[in-house]
Amino acid sequence: MFEPQPMTKVVIAGSKDYMRVAIDVMHKRDAVHIADFVDEDEDFKIGKPYASATELSERAVSLRSIASYLSIKGKEDISNKYPEGAIVDTIDAKTEHLNFEVTQVTASISEIESKIKDVKDKQRLLEPLKSFAMPLDLYTGYRSLAVFVGTLKGSPTISDITSDYELETVPYGRGHAIALFVPREFEDEILKRLQEQSYAALPLPDMEGTPKDILVDLGAQLTELESQKQKSEEDLADLRQKYIEYILASDEYLSIETQKAEAPLRFATTTNAFIVEGWVPTKDLEPVQRDMDSATNGHVIVAVDTSEGADVEKVPVALNNPLPSRPLEVLIEAFSIPKYNEIDPTKLMTFMYPFLFGIMLGDVGYGAVCIALGLLVSRRIKSKGIHDLAIILAYAGVLSVIFGFIFNEFFGVEAFGHGGLLTFIEYPAIPRLDNVLTLLIVTLVIGILMLTLGFVLGFVNERRQHGLKHAVFVKVSWLCMLWGGVLVIILILPPLTSGTGIQLSAGLVGGLAVAVIGFALLIMGEGVIGIAELPSLLSNVLSYSRLLSIGISSAGIALAVNRLSDALFFSKGGIFIIFGVLLLLVGHAVNTALGILDSGLQALRLHYVEFFTKFYRGGGVKYKPFGFERKYTEEK
Amino acid sequence: MVDPIGAGLVALSAAIAVSATGIAAALGEQVIGSAAIGVMAEDEGFFGRGLVMTVIPESIVIFGLVVALILLFVTLPSIH
Repeated sequence: MFEPQPMTKVVIAGSKDYMRVAIDVMHKRDAVHIADFVDEDEDFKIGKPYASATELSERAVSLRSIASYLSIKGKEDISNKYPEGAIVDTIDAKTEHLNFEVTQVTASISEIESKIKDVKDKQRLLEPLKSFAMPLDLYTGYRSLAVFVGTLKGSPTISDITSDYELETVPYGRGHAIALFVPREFEDEILKRLQEQSYAALPLPDMEGTPKDILVDLGAQLTELESQKQKSEEDLADLRQKYIEYILASDEYLSIETQKAEAPLRFATTTNAFIVEGWVPTKDLEPVQRDMDSATNGHVIVAVDTSEGADVEKVPVALNNPLPSRPLEVLIEAFSIPKYNEIDPTKLMTFMYPFLFGIMLGDVGYGAVCIALGLLVSRRIKSKGIHDLAIILAYAGVLSVIFGFIFNEFFGVEAFGHGGLLTFIEYPAIPRLDNVLTLLIVTLVIGILMLTLGFVLGFVNERRQHGLKHAVFVKVSWLCMLWGGVLVIILILPPLTSGTGIQLSAGLVGGLAVAVIGFALLIMGEGVIGIAELPSLLSNVLSYSRLLSIGISSAGIALAVNRLSDALFFSKGGIFIIFGVLLLLVGHAVNTALGILDSGLQALRLHYVEFFTKFYRGGGVKYKPFGFERKYTEEK
Repeated sequence: MVDPIGAGLVALSAAIAVSATGIAAALGEQVIGSAAIGVMAEDEGFFGRGLVMTVIPESIVIFGLVVALILLFVTLPSIH
C-alpha cells in the first residue's frame, strides 16, 4: 500500500542493425528507465551517437534563434497538435524560408532604429540653437573668423580680450547656449576663457536652413520612422502568429530526434551488438516485449534480469499514489524521493498535513479563504509545483474550517453557539484562548501518537532493510522509552505539582521497567552514543505544542484586529465606519497571509523534522523513462 | 486578594522565557539558514534537508513557550 510502483530489471540486447528500431520502440513506449552504461572495458564500449545528432543540433540552434526573435518561449499553450509527418520532410526548406522572412523584418527594424537614433542625435544637438535665426551653413567656413557654438554655465565676458566680436546667447537649461564669432587671432585665448565656464562645443551637423526649420523637419521624419517601425513590428507579430505552431512543433521534433540520436551514448556496444540495461514498471513489461518483438521480428530481445538482488539502491522509484494524494508528492520530493524498498509516506501525509495545518489555522473564515485561494490558483496556474501546492492549500482549508467550528472562530469572532452571532447553532465548542492547558495536552498527545506511528513505520523499514533483530534494537527501543516515559510522567506529574508525595504504584513501576528495557535495547543496538539522542525524544514531543501556540497567536491577532477596529472606528459611527472596514480588511488579509505561511511551514516542519526522522531517509533515484511527453506534435 | 507584585513578576518571567529563547533561536537559525540557502543555490534538491536543519534551533523557543504557558496558566492563577 505504501510502496512505489514495482519495477523489473531488463536487459535489451540485439544486433546493431536493429538498434535504431529498438530505440524507436523504447522511445514510443516511454517506459524504459535506462541505466547509463559507464564501465567500459575491452569488449564493451559506450555506443557512438548517430551522425545525424550534430546536424539536428545545428538545426535546433537556428530554429531557436528564430524563436527568440519572435519571442516564442516554448511554454505557450497550443490547441491543436502538429502532425509529425508534416515536419519531417519540409523542415530544412521551411526553416530556411522562415529564417529569411524573419531576418528581413528584423533587419529592417534595426535599420529604422538606427535612423531614429540618428535623428534624435541631431535633435539633441540643434535643440539649444533653435532660437538662433541664422542658417546652419553660416556657422562654418570662415578663414578669418573663429566660431564657437555650444553651451556653458554662465554668460561669457570677453570684452577685456577684444571688443571686436559678435555674440548671441539664449538661456538654455541651467546655463546658456551661445554662438560667438571672433577674429581668429583671439581663438585660443577665448577658448580658454570659455572653458573656465564649462564650455561644451556642439558639433553641428552638415545641414542647410535655420535650426528651427530643421527641427520641424526632423520631427516629421521621426514620426514617419516610428510609424514605419511600428508597421515592421506588426509584421513580426504576424509572422509569430502564423508560424508559432510550426516553430514549437519542429523544436519538439528536433528535441525528440536528438534524444534518439544520442541514445547510444547510454548503451553498451560491441562490434556488432548493443546491450541496454534498465528498469521497466512491471505492468509495462509485457507491452514493451511485445512491441519490440513485432517491430524487430524477434531480432532484439527484452530479457528479464533476475540476477539483481542486493542493489535496491539503484532501482528507480515511480511514486504510486491515487489521484487525490498526488499533489502531496511535491512535498515528499522536496524532502527526498523514497528508496525502492522504503515506505512512501505520501498517502499518510494527505491526511496528516491538512490535519496539522487545520489545528493551527483553525478558523472558519480563514479556512474558507484558503479553499477559495487554493481552487482559484489551481484552476489558473498549470505549472506543476504551484498547482499542487494550491490543491494542498485547499485540502488544508477544509480542515481549517472544521477546526474553526470546533474552536468557534470566524475571523476571530465567536460566531456560533452560546453568545455568538448565530445563536440558533448551539454546540459545545472549545474556544482556544479559554482552554490553553487542555489543548496543550491534546497537542502533546497528537505528538506522541505521530511519533509512535513514525517508530512503527521505522520498524517496518528497518526490518525490510536490515532484518528483525536490528529493527527491534533501533525502533522498539525508542517505542518502549517513549511510552514508558509517558506513563511515568502521567503518574508523577500531579503529585509533583500539588506537592503531595509520589506513591509507588504498579503503573509507575511498569512504566519505569518498560523505559529501562527500551534504554537497554538502545545501548545494545546503537552503543553508548545512543544516549546522546535521548533528549530529542522529549523535545520532539514538546515540539508539537507549536500546534497550539501558532494557533493562539493567529487567533490573538484576529481578535486584536476586531477589537481595534471596533474601539477606534465603529463605535464612533458615521464616516469612521469606512476606516473601520478598511482596518478589518487589511488586518485580516495580513493575518491570513501570516497564518497560511506559518501554519504551512510549521506543519511541514513537524513532518520533516519530528515525523520523518523516525523512519524516512529517502535518497532514491527518480524514475525517468526514455521517451518524451509530446505537447506540440502528434506521432506519424 | 491577588498579590500584584507577585503576579507581575510571573508575567515578566513568562515574557523573558519567550523572548530570550526567541533571540537565541534566531541567532542559531541565522547561521544555519544562510548556509542552507548557499547550498540550495548549488543544489535545489537540498531544500527539504536544508529546512530541517534550519529549524532545529527552534526547539529552544518551544521549550521557552511551554515554560511561559505553564507560568501563565498554572502558576499565575495559584497566586493569592
